[in-house]
Amino acid sequence: MSLMLASSNPLTHVVQHPWYTVELGGDSLFFSKFTVLSNQIAMMLLAALILVLFVVRAGKKRRGRDGIDALVPVGFANFVELVCEYFRDQVARPTLGAHTDRFIKYIWTVFFFIFTCNLMGLMPFDAAAYLVMGMPEHPVHLGGTATANIWVTATLAVCTMAMMIVNGLRIGGTAYLAHFCPGPLYMAPLLVPVEILGTGAKIFALAVRLFANMMAGHILLAVLLSFTLSAFALGYATGVGVTIPVVLGSVAINFLELFVAALQAFIFAFLTTLFIAMSVNVHHHDDHGDHRADEPALGAEMDLDEAAHAH
Amino acid sequence: MKLTKQILVTGSVVVGLYAAPALAAAEEHGAANPFAGDLGNAIWTLVIFGIVLLVLGKFLWKPVLNGLQSREEFIAKSLRDADAANKKAEQVLAEYQAQLDKARADATAIVEEGRRDAEAVKRTIQDEARQEAEAMITRAKREIGVARDTALNELYTVGAKLATDVAGKIISRELKPADHERLIQESIAELGRTDVSTN
Repeated sequence: MSLMLASSNPLTHVVQHPWYTVELGGDSLFFSKFTVLSNQIAMMLLAALILVLFVVRAGKKRRGRDGIDALVPVGFANFVELVCEYFRDQVARPTLGAHTDRFIKYIWTVFFFIFTCNLMGLMPFDAAAYLVMGMPEHPVHLGGTATANIWVTATLAVCTMAMMIVNGLRIGGTAYLAHFCPGPLYMAPLLVPVEILGTGAKIFALAVRLFANMMAGHILLAVLLSFTLSAFALGYATGVGVTIPVVLGSVAINFLELFVAALQAFIFAFLTTLFIAMSVNVHHHDDHGDHRADEPALGAEMDLDEAAHAH
Repeated sequence: MKLTKQILVTGSVVVGLYAAPALAAAEEHGAANPFAGDLGNAIWTLVIFGIVLLVLGKFLWKPVLNGLQSREEFIAKSLRDADAANKKAEQVLAEYQAQLDKARADATAIVEEGRRDAEAVKRTIQDEARQEAEAMITRAKREIGVARDTALNELYTVGAKLATDVAGKIISRELKPADHERLIQESIAELGRTDVSTN
């Protein structure tokens, strides 16, 4: 808590805190240094460890080995299967159709990876450690939300783009390439750049949506909590008076953050599914209108976009 | 506005006093940039996500997907089996219904036939009984007739013999056996005529 309050700039609590950085030199904004380890990378590693060590083991527990018992999940596996089945039947199958089982493992991984990273970001590791061991002289940022880093979300979005393009070419073939020029051929000089930009925009939006949502909630919490310190400076009574609603509000916002953690992971995985489906299920159509009519899920994408921006 | 400024100033002072080392550490890394990060993050993300994808794909998603698929097949098969069983049951029911209807029709036919046979038998028995009764009556009449004729003959013979004997005694004249026989025969003939005329 004290660390949370240790800076007047709420962004400090949200951004990455490198533990070990290699200076590459040069004055480029992005490539002048190389972060070897940071609080967010550590949290991402922790999320990966939880997934690999715990979720893999707990996720495939079944009641028995043979017969019907082998089809019945037990304990945590119920949650895993609930999510998996939902994504497979409700999200992937309506859009991916016959290709569902080919891509579903990727979609599941995207969801669980982002969801775990988001949840890890809600854990106040450093605050808890300082509460137990006392404030060290040189505090180290332990916790952090890996998905509140645009580099992380952009990398994940690029993975989705790679899935779109590679599988679009592999499965759609020339139809996928033709899909970049949905109109008559003489319109190609106009349409192809627009379509390419469109793909880029989808990926960009995907990365920014997750990044901004994860960062915004944490900034809000930091700002809220910083009020208590300022209030205590004005007097004990004011401090208590402000702290009570702030703490209650923080608890409420933490619950909201829990929901957002799941929602944003879902949206990322959902849009990944849609984008892959749009690349894979390209058909030759003379009229672009028909093409859109084939994809009722596009409307859902727009709704989700609105929902995401509303946060 | 004044309050905000006040809050900011006092906040900064308290924060500075309270956690100077932390602030120093934060300032060490420069101003907080919301887009903080570099290629290191991207490579780490790629590596970690790749490993998670591989490990989960092999050790978790494979069994989960197999489970989902086999459950799907199991449910589909169960539904198909149930449907087939239902159709079979309906078919069997229809067969049994048909058999039942046929049996009922047969039973009705049998009862009807039985009734007809019984009627016929009744009629036959009545006819036979009637014929037999008529035959018995006829025979009885015939036997009565024969017995009457025999009795009458006997009566005539005895009557004639008696009359002859009486007449012979009366006239005390011995008749020769030939005369005797002739007289008897005449008497019978006369009696016969008398009987016919009197009957």
